[in-house]
Amino acid sequence: MAKERSSSAGEIDVDMTPMIDIVFQLIAFFMVINNFEQTQADERVKLPRDALAKPPEVKVEHEITLNIGYLRDQQGERTNPDPFLFNFGGEDMIPPLNSSKALEQEARLYNNREVDPKDVTIKVRADAEVPTGVVQELIKLAQDAGFEKFAMSAMSTSDGQ
Amino acid sequence: MARQRKEQEKLETNMSAMIDVVFQLLIFFMLTLKLIEPEGDFNINMPAMGQAPQDSSEPPPLDTKVKLRANADGTLAGVFLGSRPLGNDSDAFKRLNIEILRLIGSPDNPLAEDMAVEIDADYNLHFRHVISAVGACTGRLDPRTQRIVKYIKNIKFKPPQNPAAAG
Repeated sequence: MAKERSSSAGEIDVDMTPMIDIVFQLIAFFMVINNFEQTQADERVKLPRDALAKPPEVKVEHEITLNIGYLRDQQGERTNPDPFLFNFGGEDMIPPLNSSKALEQEARLYNNREVDPKDVTIKVRADAEVPTGVVQELIKLAQDAGFEKFAMSAMSTSDGQ
Repeated sequence: MARQRKEQEKLETNMSAMIDVVFQLLIFFMLTLKLIEPEGDFNINMPAMGQAPQDSSEPPPLDTKVKLRANADGTLAGVFLGSRPLGNDSDAFKRLNIEILRLIGSPDNPLAEDMAVEIDADYNLHFRHVISAVGACTGRLDPRTQRIVKYIKNIKFKPPQNPAAAG
């Protein structure tokens, strides 16, 4: 009787403590490593790399992100030769030079919130292979809409290549 | 006897509910995990054209011109500092970096505050070369301290000239 009881009790009383310890550790790890910030970064943009591109120490208060890139297949080959502006002005993709209306609307939105567009940073996340002229013309459109501060994004690397 | 039973009940807390929830949380965090590479910005102030004050009493700022020429497919054909060619390989930007340092004298030269670099890039040049040029002009990374040594932070761009629109 005693033997049967102890064996059955031994089966039920598995010591859960180490498992729970580990599981909590894992949860804590994933919570810390996860970044919940809602970034407007688009995965279709393959940014250029530069050693000097360090993540900003102070977060910019007002920021608009412009993602310029190409449609690519699994191998990274372009499926459309023209660059697109992704995820902007309520559209998934538009030609970069058709964005003046959306930019003006953004400027108006900031004006309505009593924020001067001059204080808004336009973050240009351009693909490494986008023609420079397209980026410059897009910046020109943003300037025409009233924006003055720009930031060009690049991936941080240690070797600079 | 009753007391002993009570103690036993106290010890056998039902863990299954907690473990269920904890595993749910674990799976949630694992699935929402998105590893992103760190990304940095080069800040550039570009007021709209025509608004720049044309004050004749002030001397014009010392603009250093960096020309980036492209091949037809958008790859780099050559880097020029003024009219001096610096090559067209990846070392061209290292040479540009060294030349910029020579121009400003020393990294913390207060005169460098007034200096500006104007980047004149061909329309079809791949954007990565512009970022490399901006990086080479803004400074370099100290290999020992991993800090950025600043050179010239005032970067300008020559207005784009679309060959398709011109021709």
